[in-house]
Amino acid sequence: MTSGMPTTPTRPRTPVSTPGKVGEHTVRADGVPKVTGEFEYSSDLWMDGMLWGATLRSPHPYARIWSTDTSAAEAMPGVHAVLTYEDVPGRKVYGMEIPDQPVLAWEDVRYQGEPVAIVAADHPETARRAAEKIAVEYEVLEPLTDPEEAMSEEAPQLHPSGNLLRHIHTVHGDAENAEADVVVTGEYEIGMQDQAFLGPESGLAVPDGEGGVDLYISTQWLHVDQDQLAESLDLPPEKVKLTLSGVGGAFGGREDLSMQAHACLLALHTERPVKMMYDREESFFGHVHRHPARMRYEHGADRDGKLVYVKARLVLDGGAYASSSTAVCSNAASFSCGPYDVPNALVDTYMVYTNNPPCGAMRGFGAVQVCFAYESQMDKLAGELGMDPVELRIKNAIEPGNTLPFGQEMPRPAPVAEILGRVKGMPLPEEKEMMGRDLRELPGGVSNVTHGEAVKRGVGYSVGFKNVCYSEGFDDYSTARVTLQVEGGEPLVRVHTAAAEVGQGLVTIQAQIARTELGVERVSVLGADTGVGSSGSSSASRQTYMTGGAVKMACQAVRDRLFERVREEFGEDLDGLSLDGGEVFSEGRGMLAPLDELLGGEEIEETCEFHHKETVPFDENGQGDAHVQFAFAAHRAVVEVDVELGLVRVVEIATAQDVGRVMNPQALQGQIEGGIAQGLGLALLEEIQIREGKIQNASFTDYLIPTILDMPSVRAEILELADPEAPYGLKGVGEPPTIASTPAIVSALRDATGQELARVPVKPEQIVGIAEKPPREPPQAGSGGYSDIGRLDERSET
Amino acid sequence: MPGYNRAELTAELKVLASSDSERAPKEQIEAAREAAGDSGLAREAGPETTALAGKRSEVLGAVLKVIEASLDAGAQAVQVNVETEGDSSRFG
Repeated sequence: MTSGMPTTPTRPRTPVSTPGKVGEHTVRADGVPKVTGEFEYSSDLWMDGMLWGATLRSPHPYARIWSTDTSAAEAMPGVHAVLTYEDVPGRKVYGMEIPDQPVLAWEDVRYQGEPVAIVAADHPETARRAAEKIAVEYEVLEPLTDPEEAMSEEAPQLHPSGNLLRHIHTVHGDAENAEADVVVTGEYEIGMQDQAFLGPESGLAVPDGEGGVDLYISTQWLHVDQDQLAESLDLPPEKVKLTLSGVGGAFGGREDLSMQAHACLLALHTERPVKMMYDREESFFGHVHRHPARMRYEHGADRDGKLVYVKARLVLDGGAYASSSTAVCSNAASFSCGPYDVPNALVDTYMVYTNNPPCGAMRGFGAVQVCFAYESQMDKLAGELGMDPVELRIKNAIEPGNTLPFGQEMPRPAPVAEILGRVKGMPLPEEKEMMGRDLRELPGGVSNVTHGEAVKRGVGYSVGFKNVCYSEGFDDYSTARVTLQVEGGEPLVRVHTAAAEVGQGLVTIQAQIARTELGVERVSVLGADTGVGSSGSSSASRQTYMTGGAVKMACQAVRDRLFERVREEFGEDLDGLSLDGGEVFSEGRGMLAPLDELLGGEEIEETCEFHHKETVPFDENGQGDAHVQFAFAAHRAVVEVDVELGLVRVVEIATAQDVGRVMNPQALQGQIEGGIAQGLGLALLEEIQIREGKIQNASFTDYLIPTILDMPSVRAEILELADPEAPYGLKGVGEPPTIASTPAIVSALRDATGQELARVPVKPEQIVGIAEKPPREPPQAGSGGYSDIGRLDERSET
Repeated sequence: MPGYNRAELTAELKVLASSDSERAPKEQIEAAREAAGDSGLAREAGPETTALAGKRSEVLGAVLKVIEASLDAGAQAVQVNVETEGDSSRFG
């Protein structure tokens, strides 16, 4: 550098190329606008003359409604409509699997925040105040908040057929009579995690002038929303048209309806566009969360460390309504024993209704909860056997051809031992001297609460797995319409699907596939809407598999028709036809013709449905070929813990994941790092605090999510072992990073502290060993402080 | 995420309560709800409506019991709407 010369920062060069084909680094079109704040989310929707909707919600987790008086709200200037359940013209309940959730409550409210009435007004504040003026007379009932209690015969029935939503009894081999040399037991608990997407629920409903309604919405599955809305609005599905708007994250929390039906009801009633937008607090009440779970395990092994049996009892709290709980139950049962060869298993999995907030889909979907428990058990077993925990896992790693506890044969590839070996083999991060470090590199960070005196390092390992795509006999499919034409003298491919881009990079992947299959650089991915067939949900790590498969299939159909035309023109005996750079080639004759010449003013369009292989439901013993594909990831966590203050710094996460085929390296990196962040949040920070059915921390001030300062560096090794049945051999990649990262971090915490840590998120008091003796009351201002309640070290002695 | 084994048959029963009956309209509806709940197949579907979902034979058997309980309680009529699995296959 020349002294005195002004310097200009140089942007780091990323290895990207735009546009890209399958497997190439490809920049996402939505990336820069999202970072600069220019991206249009559904909360930015606007239409002249629109009204604003607001929702009146129950303040009680369980109550009976005796009367509702809307007159004061209706009398307010600027109010255009106040609606209750009586104004729902069609089905008064909704739900993806079991329609049991009222669009607006009529008699009972079963959770705090349940919608009771809705208002449309000419200003959002007017709508909010009008909602407050609705007088509801409640008889407040004792909420049922403990899922174990909810299963007892004495418990009040929250739904007509009781509180047990689903029970799966999994019998594999003969666990009852299996004998083991070493037995370990444990009870584990996981708190209620929120998806914590940054863009709260929002949308705009517009009457179409012909009795129908157009809804612009951020969601995960347009067609399942459309079907539920049509039922409740008493309209044929074609009269309810949905268009995807900018989605600010989803992670499962947008699979269920939130404000969709309310906005449409208000729009149809007022014959005006109606916008609804939750604030952060309302968002916590407006969507489902990850199921809390209590899990009791017993693992038996021989002296060499080979697993003999697993027995487990899993209880998941579904909250007030079904949502996708029955499928979460299925996953918890399926993956309860981990990716291990378990010859005997007896697992009972219960999904229970309570008066807690409804729980449903969230990244990892049942596999997260059990992974924390079974991996904790594997660590405990390794300790009991005096074995290296990775060696124990590798010894028991499931292999292709082994039978899973639910009766399905593990297909190949299943590189469990290999990914464990990979994370074990990666170099550990340098261990710097604790004292004298930059404070940002110590637990607690710049809060300057430690100088490293009591900081210990710990290392932990974990491996997990999960299904990709839908399961248990559901005939899942995705639809894609692909058009090849010439525009402006150049070939152009248009791709149209209803698949929801929720931030995972699906739009980019669709374009990459079209470029790969049709050899055309210009690809336009049209906005997702219900003008084309369903693409299913952006969940279950399935969209690249399913919608990617559909786009590939439709492109191939277009290509086949094009090649027919080429053969008609250039000779039937042509072989080895291919497309590249907007030109058609033959193996024998080289370039035959550019596409613009071949197509002229015509276009070739094909619409295809892609279905995955058939699956079957579980039988009465929880057995069946229920799943399409399995994805695996292993993690190693390195943590530093102040064992006196309970502060944690995650130093590094190393991971190895089999992805089948890397479709877009940049997007894959995003999924791995984002998934690990969510796993770290569950391990250390994220829990919706509920007391007596009421949420205590409905804000991002009190519900803590990891920031960039909490995120460690991530070291990843990617395996590309192709799945022969999947498009391009790919595997879903979105969920595996979340599943095993949580138990790896907790394992590392155990290594550092020697504490049992049977519950996540791990709290500081668990780390310093006083969780079992909490103060009865926190010290109050003006009190004797800890002299009244006992010093921390005194309480940690027993 | 639909993944659960979809019900083979779903029946929605709407109780039209009688105001001339000895039992109050609410009790007539409650009688239907209780009978539906006993079947293990029930869920609420509206203020006067209960849905039964499950295997064909189970649902049809339960439908009769709910109708019987409703009429015994003094209901004026019970409207029944039955859908097979195929009718609900739009999901997806």
